Amino acid sequence: MPHRILVIGGGAAGIGAAGGVKAADPGNDVVVYTEFEDVGYSPCGIPYVHGKEIDSFERLFLAQKEAYVQAGIDVHYETRVNSIDLKRKVIDVVGEGEVRWDRLVIATGFDYGDPGVPGSDLAGLYYVKNIRRAMKWDKVLDTVKSAVVVHATPLGLEMTTALAHRGIETHLVDPQPWALADVVDPDIIAPVQESWLELGVNLHFNTTLKSFNGDRVLASVGTSDGEIPAGLAVICTHKQPNIRLAAQAGLKAGPTGGLVVDERMATSVPDVYAAGDCAELPHGLTRVGVSGLTGSHAYAQGKVAGFNAGGGTKRYQPVYVPWGTPAGKWVIGGASLGETLATALGMPFVVGRAEGISRARYYPGVKPIKIKLLAEPGQLRLIGAQMVGQEGIKERADFLATAVKFGLTLNDLAAMENVYSPAIGALNEPIALAAQDGVQNASRAG
Amino acid sequence: MPVTHWLRDNAEHYLLVAAQERVGQRYGAPPPRRPRGPKELFWLRLFAPVYRLLPWALRSRVLRAMPGSHRQQWASWAQPPSRREPGV
Repeated sequence: MPHRILVIGGGAAGIGAAGGVKAADPGNDVVVYTEFEDVGYSPCGIPYVHGKEIDSFERLFLAQKEAYVQAGIDVHYETRVNSIDLKRKVIDVVGEGEVRWDRLVIATGFDYGDPGVPGSDLAGLYYVKNIRRAMKWDKVLDTVKSAVVVHATPLGLEMTTALAHRGIETHLVDPQPWALADVVDPDIIAPVQESWLELGVNLHFNTTLKSFNGDRVLASVGTSDGEIPAGLAVICTHKQPNIRLAAQAGLKAGPTGGLVVDERMATSVPDVYAAGDCAELPHGLTRVGVSGLTGSHAYAQGKVAGFNAGGGTKRYQPVYVPWGTPAGKWVIGGASLGETLATALGMPFVVGRAEGISRARYYPGVKPIKIKLLAEPGQLRLIGAQMVGQEGIKERADFLATAVKFGLTLNDLAAMENVYSPAIGALNEPIALAAQDGVQNASRAG
Repeated sequence: MPVTHWLRDNAEHYLLVAAQERVGQRYGAPPPRRPRGPKELFWLRLFAPVYRLLPWALRSRVLRAMPGSHRQQWASWAQPPSRREPGV
C-alpha cells in the first residue's frame, strides 16, 4: 500500500532517500523539505571550483529541478521545518503548518563545529556548504590577498590546496601536530605538507585558534602562534551531526552525537528513519560508532532509508570507510584504520610498507605510490591501510576496504594477482609488495 | 551533552593525542603540544596510560558495551562475510 513519506533535508542522503521511496513503490507520495534554494548538487565539488580545477558551479548540479518533478519527487525549497511530533505523526513547517506523514526520513546533515572564539560573527568567515553562497564567495576570493583555513580536516586540506592554486596567501591553522592527524599518519601526510610549502602555504600546526579580529569585517586571525592578517577565514572545523529537530522530538542519539539507527536505517522510533551525516553507523571492524562519513555513504544510506520507509526491505552494512582526497600535489587515501587510530584504540598490529610505482617504470607519467598495510599480529588479517601517491589511490582504497571487510590476510595480498600493462600498471603491485613486507615483519617478530 | 557523548568526545580526542605522540616519534614528526591545565593532564597523563595498560580484549568489550548504533540489529555481524567456494 502506498505511503506518504516526508524527507527532511535535501542533501545526498535526502535525495537518495526520496529516490529510494519511489523505487520501493512508485505510488508512494514523497515530499522533500530543504532550507536551501537547490538540491541534487555536489557540495564536495565546491573547493575544486574555487581552485579553478572545475570551470563553473553549474557543473556540480546532478539534475535540474524539473527532473525531480518528473520523478514524482515534490521538493519544497527554502522551507524550514520547525518541529517533529512523533506521536501525532506530523511535522510543523514554516508557511505550511502541520503536515501529516506515515513515514519520516531525517537527513538533516551536519553543522560545522563552533570555532568557540571571539569574533565568530564578523563578516569574512566562510563556511563551505551551500552552492549559492559559494558562488558569491568565489567572487570574494578574487579580491582576497590573504586567507586562513581553520583546521586541517578533509575540507581544510581541499580548501588549503584550492586557495594556494588560486594564488592567495594561505595559512593553515590546526591544533594538531600534522594535517588530518586524527586520521592520517605522519609518514603519509609528510609529502603533502612539503608540497604545500612548495606552493607557498604557511603551515601553523600545534597552533590554537584564539580569535577573529576586525571591525565588523575580518582583518586578522589571532592564534597561539601570533596574529595573522587575513581578509578571509574558511571555517573547516569537524562536522557535527545536526540532530536539533530529532533530539527535540525525542529520538535517541549515540555517543558520536549522531542518531542511533539499525541496519534498516530505522531510528529508535517506529516509522522514522535517518541517514547521512546526522546518523551514527557502526565501524565493521571495531564495532565502534562513527559519523560524518562521505557523500557516497550518505547517498547509499539515504537509498536504504527511503526504500525501507517506502515499504521495501534493504539492509545497510557496517562501514569500513574507504577514503581519499587530493591534497597539495598528492593524493592520499586509505581504508579502515591507520597506525594513529589503531594506536589510539590500543589495537595490536603489524605493519607492512612499500614504495612502488603506478605504471611501468619506463612509461611517461609514472608516479610513485607509498603504501602501508596494518594487520592483526596472529592471523595477519588486514585491519587497515594508508597510501600517498598521485594516481590509482581511490581504486586501491576501495579494494582494500573490501579486503578488510572480507578478512583477507597479508598472505592473501602478498600473493595477489595484478594487472600488468605499462600505461596503467607496474609489474609489481605496490599492495602486494607492502603485504610481502608485512609478512616478513610478522615472521621476524615471531 | 549526554554523558556517553561527553565520554566519547574526550576519550577519543585525548587517546588520539597520546597516539600522535607515539606514532609521531616513530616517524620523526613533531609531537603534540604539551598538556596544559588539570583537564588535559588528567586525560593525557592518567586516562590514556591506564587505558593502554588494559588488554585489547577488555577494551574492545568495554567499547562494544557503550550504547549506540552498533548495539542495534546488524545481520552481517550475525553472519559475517566468509570465503566461498567458486561458483563453477
